[in-house]
Amino acid sequence: MIEVKDLKKAYNGREALKGISFGIKAGEFYGLLGPNGAGKTTTISILSSILNPDSGEVIIGSNSLKNSPKDIKKIIGVVPQELAVYNELTAFENLMFWGSFYNVSKKELSNRANALLKLFGLEDRKGEKVKNYSGGMKRRINIASSLLHQPRVLFMDEPTVGIDPQSRNLIFEVIEKLHREGMTIVYTTHYMEEAERLCDRIGIIDNGKIIAEGTLDELKNSNAVKETIAMTFLMLSKNDSVKLSSSWPDMKQMNNTIHFYSPNVKTDLSKLVLLCNQIGLEIVNIEILKANLETIFLQLTGKQLRD
Amino acid sequence: MIKVALKDLRIFLKDRRSMLLTFAIPIALITLFAFAFGGVGKGKEDSKVSLLISDLDNTAASKEAIMLFDSLKSVSISTMSLEDAEKAIKKGKVSSVLVIHNGFSDSLQQGAGLPLELKYDGAKEIEVGLLQQSLIPTIAMLPFNLGDSKMMMGNRLARIAGVSNLDKKQDIQFRSNELFDVISKSISENESKEQINPTEMFIGGDIKMTKLVKATNDNQLGLIQAVAGTAVMMLLFSVVGIGLGLLDEKQEGTLKRLLYTPLNPLNILFGKMIAANLISIFQLVVMFLFASFVFGLKIGEHLPGLLLMIIATAFACSAFGVLLASFAKTKQQVQGLSTLIILVMSAIGGSMMPLFFMPVIMQKAAVISVNYWSIQGFYDIFWRNLPVLSTTFLSRILVLMVIGLILNSVAVIMFRKNILKLA
Repeated sequence: MIEVKDLKKAYNGREALKGISFGIKAGEFYGLLGPNGAGKTTTISILSSILNPDSGEVIIGSNSLKNSPKDIKKIIGVVPQELAVYNELTAFENLMFWGSFYNVSKKELSNRANALLKLFGLEDRKGEKVKNYSGGMKRRINIASSLLHQPRVLFMDEPTVGIDPQSRNLIFEVIEKLHREGMTIVYTTHYMEEAERLCDRIGIIDNGKIIAEGTLDELKNSNAVKETIAMTFLMLSKNDSVKLSSSWPDMKQMNNTIHFYSPNVKTDLSKLVLLCNQIGLEIVNIEILKANLETIFLQLTGKQLRD
Repeated sequence: MIKVALKDLRIFLKDRRSMLLTFAIPIALITLFAFAFGGVGKGKEDSKVSLLISDLDNTAASKEAIMLFDSLKSVSISTMSLEDAEKAIKKGKVSSVLVIHNGFSDSLQQGAGLPLELKYDGAKEIEVGLLQQSLIPTIAMLPFNLGDSKMMMGNRLARIAGVSNLDKKQDIQFRSNELFDVISKSISENESKEQINPTEMFIGGDIKMTKLVKATNDNQLGLIQAVAGTAVMMLLFSVVGIGLGLLDEKQEGTLKRLLYTPLNPLNILFGKMIAANLISIFQLVVMFLFASFVFGLKIGEHLPGLLLMIIATAFACSAFGVLLASFAKTKQQVQGLSTLIILVMSAIGGSMMPLFFMPVIMQKAAVISVNYWSIQGFYDIFWRNLPVLSTTFLSRILVLMVIGLILNSVAVIMFRKNILKLA
């Protein structure tokens, strides 16, 4: 459904995208994970044809971004990160406005707007100005505004930022329903649990590059990903850290806790305990962290996802 | 706290536009008002009221009279044929012409009323009033300076007394001569040496006043000035509000969201332009309706011209608002820039006060202002009573439309440039 080849984009000489490539099948739920400034929004902006790439190729459906951006715009929907709705209009008026650009008859548009308001639990307040809505309700109308023309591909750029749990669950249910109905969804997020719950496949983007891609299981089982032995010490001097890292280079220190990355926890745990005893470190806690997106991301990028 | 202050200062110093707005606005306004009110750039000629004279008498006496007018410090004289002068007045280029009719010299010698006529543009009544005040003392002095003031005084007194009998007339003339001599002697002995002459007491500075360009709303000069001047100035402020709406959309993300749709990006701007035009037309219509209902401005007789001028004014002003929004990056920039530009245009364009109160240099600069063309157009309609198809009126419409087209074109370029920076 979506083919991206060697996409590059620079702003004032700074490379935002350094030649990313990925493919998304029709009906797939694809998560794009990365910290701030990684290139997620730039990627979405290019795919939704409001930003021209410096080079590279994008094909959505059977349309090339270069040759027929207008055709692409007709089959995609974009849920922006901002609450891009008109506060002075009612929810219903907003939906009617945003759906009015897609050659849908007024009557059909009205039916779709009402159906979406019902789906998002806003039917009772559809005649109320959006400025009176809570943050969660605004998020819901923000998403609904992108669905009026029933797009084949939906780009969602961090659609649940600053939302209450109730609204988040409702949004997840709607998104999952859309996915089940066959919509292709590209979803960027900071939240690991969202990606783990929703995405069929995940691309991890950092510094303008896709550094890993696959299903959650594929990412967990890849050679690059290891399990983590997290040891917390009573005291940890700089000298102690140097000694540890010279013996075990694949580690990351966070205050008095060190994450040791291990391809085989069973054998490596005893080695590490012995090493600490030799250095004279007093261990107060040991934790084995199974590979999940958080640890995978940390290992791959050296950063927390919310950095 | 200090770090926050330093950070804010650093940001401010890096923002050239903010710097410009912070300092350039006050400096520009001080300069502007110094020009307008303080006499800066005001040469000797600027302070004089222009007076055209058409000498139909063409005698030594009339030429001497012209020289006397020319010696007035407050009046700048130029002569012209009556036909040319009347054309210039009708085109609104000059306010009036003083006509020295045939028989001026004879009247002067006989002490009869002087055949002087001031033909003027009804739309410039205040300006003509000032001129009249400057002329009356000199006209009153003409018989004293050029003619037989004793005879004239005697004739006047005989006329006041209603005497037609020749003997009685001669008696009055004789007594008048004695009185004139006594008064003249007293004046010459007056220690205060005040510049008084006896003729002033008896001879009025009458001058026939003729409106060449008749205004239907004779007593509504102030009203027209207030409605047209204020309407255009306030319209400029409100179109800036419309422009701010565009920036609101940009900042709140709805503009970006519009770009995600199949809508042509330029259509977003064109939509804004249309909305701005409609709102502007609506605003002007409401203002003139208000002036009509509340102050009795007669708009019914001028509907075609008024509608045409409202549309042209709305087009030019709304283009100004959209241009500002396309150019500026933040609401603060628009507010600063618009305040500066609107105040400048309104001050020099005649929104705040009639143009003839200003020095010549400011009157010439007025043509760069949208306000000038609109206000003059409304004067054409309500005061000069010009027909819709008159060249003068149509030229003002044309200028406003060209201004609108130029501003809209620049807005399109700037909008395109800014769109690329959106994502």
